[in-house]
Amino acid sequence: MPRLALATLIAVALPAPALASATIGQPAPPFIVYDSNGKTQRLTDYRGKIVVLEWNNPGCPFVQKHYNSGNMQKTQAAAKAAGAVWLTVNSAGPGRQGFMNRTQANAFIAAEKAVPTAYLIDPKGVLGRGYDAKTTPGMYVVDAKGTLVYKGAIDDRPTADPADIPKAKNLVLAAVTETAAGKPVSVPQTRSYGCSVKYAD
Amino acid sequence: MTALLRALLSLIALFAALPAAADTHITARLVAESDRPAAGRNVSLAFVMKPEKGWHGYWKNPGDSGVETRAEWTLPPGAAAGPIQYPVPQRLTVAGLMNYVYEGPYAQIVELKLPAGLAPGTRVPVRVKLDWLACTEEVCVPESGTLGIDLVIGDGATNNRETFDGYRAAMPRPLGGEGRFAVKGDQLRLGIPLPAASDAGEAYFFPAEDGVIDYAAPQTATRNGDMLVIETKAGSDASAATVLDGVLRIADGKGLAITARPGPVPAAGSPVVQETPAGGGTFLLALGGAVLGGLLLNVMPCVFPILSLKALSLARSGETEAAARREAIAYTLGVIAVCIALGAVLLALRAGGSQAGWAFQLQDPHVILVLLLLVTVIGFNLAGLFELTSFGFGQRLAGAGGVSGAFWTGALAAFVATPCTGPFMGAALGAALILPAAAAMAVFVGLGLGLAIPFLLLGFVPALRRRLPRPGAWMDRLRRILALPMFVTAIGLAWILGRQAGVDGMVTGLFATFVIAAALWWIGARQAGGRPAAWAPLLPALAAAFVLVTLVPRAPDAARAAPASAGLHAEPFSEARLAALKAEQRPVFVYFTADWCLTCKVNEKAAIDRAEVAEAFARRNVAVLVGDWTNGDATIGRFLAAQGRSGVPLYLFYAPDKPVEVLPQVLTASRLTALAG
Repeated sequence: MPRLALATLIAVALPAPALASATIGQPAPPFIVYDSNGKTQRLTDYRGKIVVLEWNNPGCPFVQKHYNSGNMQKTQAAAKAAGAVWLTVNSAGPGRQGFMNRTQANAFIAAEKAVPTAYLIDPKGVLGRGYDAKTTPGMYVVDAKGTLVYKGAIDDRPTADPADIPKAKNLVLAAVTETAAGKPVSVPQTRSYGCSVKYAD
Repeated sequence: MTALLRALLSLIALFAALPAAADTHITARLVAESDRPAAGRNVSLAFVMKPEKGWHGYWKNPGDSGVETRAEWTLPPGAAAGPIQYPVPQRLTVAGLMNYVYEGPYAQIVELKLPAGLAPGTRVPVRVKLDWLACTEEVCVPESGTLGIDLVIGDGATNNRETFDGYRAAMPRPLGGEGRFAVKGDQLRLGIPLPAASDAGEAYFFPAEDGVIDYAAPQTATRNGDMLVIETKAGSDASAATVLDGVLRIADGKGLAITARPGPVPAAGSPVVQETPAGGGTFLLALGGAVLGGLLLNVMPCVFPILSLKALSLARSGETEAAARREAIAYTLGVIAVCIALGAVLLALRAGGSQAGWAFQLQDPHVILVLLLLVTVIGFNLAGLFELTSFGFGQRLAGAGGVSGAFWTGALAAFVATPCTGPFMGAALGAALILPAAAAMAVFVGLGLGLAIPFLLLGFVPALRRRLPRPGAWMDRLRRILALPMFVTAIGLAWILGRQAGVDGMVTGLFATFVIAAALWWIGARQAGGRPAAWAPLLPALAAAFVLVTLVPRAPDAARAAPASAGLHAEPFSEARLAALKAEQRPVFVYFTADWCLTCKVNEKAAIDRAEVAEAFARRNVAVLVGDWTNGDATIGRFLAAQGRSGVPLYLFYAPDKPVEVLPQVLTASRLTALAG
């Protein structure tokens, strides 16, 4: 019965992000989504902490660039060390490239040795569309007050070549570090690069 | 066997070092327009990309997702590769995300500058690591290949010219004129100067930069005279943009490279106005202009008589203060009511997408002729040929005196004033038409207010009224004198008519004027004789005049492309024909045009397709060649490039045994006749 109430709550609450929009300096759109362990994750649960959102699609070569090289995992660890919460989001629709159920998602995390706080499964794309997420990897940083302070690419090298990673500036870590230090984010918005988010049609 | 293989390989290496990147979903080849390019010159290279079925490559701005193509060149010293030029892309929407792509084979052109001083026969190895993204609707694969070609310095013969002409045909062509864009809230409006007659059935704007538009939002394109207006949802960076670059697709695979700067964009269905860039001040500027313009209208020949007569009647009446004020206000309301009505009609026409507008009307000789008749009738009335005592609701109601009389006089003044506003008020009214409906209405009210100001002052400031001279016989004299500016106006209109419809048209118009005048003279005579049905002759006269109006030929269609340039006997351009004419020692005027080039069309109408130019050219036996670049003819494109131009218009004059003269992009007829002088 609490389960049903929760489902109802989610059904009611989920459309909310679609009404908001992800604008720098504005409150980040709120959400309630199941994670890969069947737990609900809300943005408001993390009020007081920096939250990083990472749009993920394991089939996308640009995502693979950052996972196979270990760059994404390192970024996750560094952000968490700076006090941030890391939520990886999969907005692929069922049957589309990169879609995963909970088991598959947990297997992906284990295989990649990824360390997100949680892996959110968003098969209807409500969270993704609420944040206007268009590419994987696509990154968002929300500050402790719930304000969106960064959206865009993970770094400034829009290629699929892992050899570019050492030369790149990690824009997400920069945003997290600056926010943690109470400073404004110097590069708050970039063009994210990669594959399109494979939303359900 | 291995020796043979090695020999074979080296042979392949010699002719096309690395022909194609293998095992990719989009195959890439590097080809050169000339295998024996000349040293110190440019040679065109192309990445010839061929996607597998279901796969696509990306434009420079890939849209909501995707990546542009990157090239890392390895070139001999002194050689330099230019930027990658992309053909006009296509749209592909997947699950609500917009991508700018190529779903079929496409070629990207790069200009390679070769160092000077290389001896013929020198091998120039060109290598490039090319990275591109290949996607289906489902998956994306970043692909990469090292491509190469070995060029051998030679005579520059372009052995692949036809192939490259095909690639170039798919490239956007630079549009000469600059567009305007305006961002209001989340709406972006883009106006691009494009002649009304040009084809733009599949207009879509591909922005070069990210963030200026919402890619997935629909774009509505409307034709508005010589302006193509595109409206869509603005992106987050749009309001900060100082320039908007991109490609305007006008048909599948055909497009124009455009640049737009912030400025007013006309509304759908309103006339084109030349406005200097102005931001939110446009409205206040237009309103101020309208009030001032309305004020100035009082001294225009068609309004002044009515106004001064009414002012005199006010002075003559010797009414009380309150009554004078009431009359002044009633007059003002009458003026404004008519202005609002006119504005409403115009806005209705604008909403209907019709090309309404003063400038437009004045291009129609029929409208000019009707104005000519109207002004002549008013002139003869003032001159005393006939009286309007029992004719015209305004005069009759005005004659009734009092508040309603004043209202109708105001209405009449405003109504009669409209012909005068054309040449005079075009800018403010044009601005009114690009403003939102409410603001446009305010401009019309402003116009009426300006027109009513002198009368308001007379009503509210008794001192002014007292300064008006006493009524007397001089009033009749003044009325006769006021007929003179009316006739001058009529002469001006007849001149415009002659310019638009030729001598025959003008004579037809003058004959219509004569018929009306004769009828009025007869009416005047009957009035003097006290006949009851004095106005009877007017009807047949009007009917005759109407027939004559319809007989006036319409102005020649200015937008028709040039080879039909009647007076000039223009021939289609070709380099061979140009060389032949030069060999004949004939002076040659060459011009390049395109249906989508507004500057070209304006120059053709205003300077080239003119009788005096045709005469002057005929006198000196000047040959005329026209290059029509509407469809991006590659021969013409090359000729333009050889003259250092990327697009049209281009005007050249070749005098025998003299270097070619490049004429300015804004031509005048006198500049052309002087050439033949």
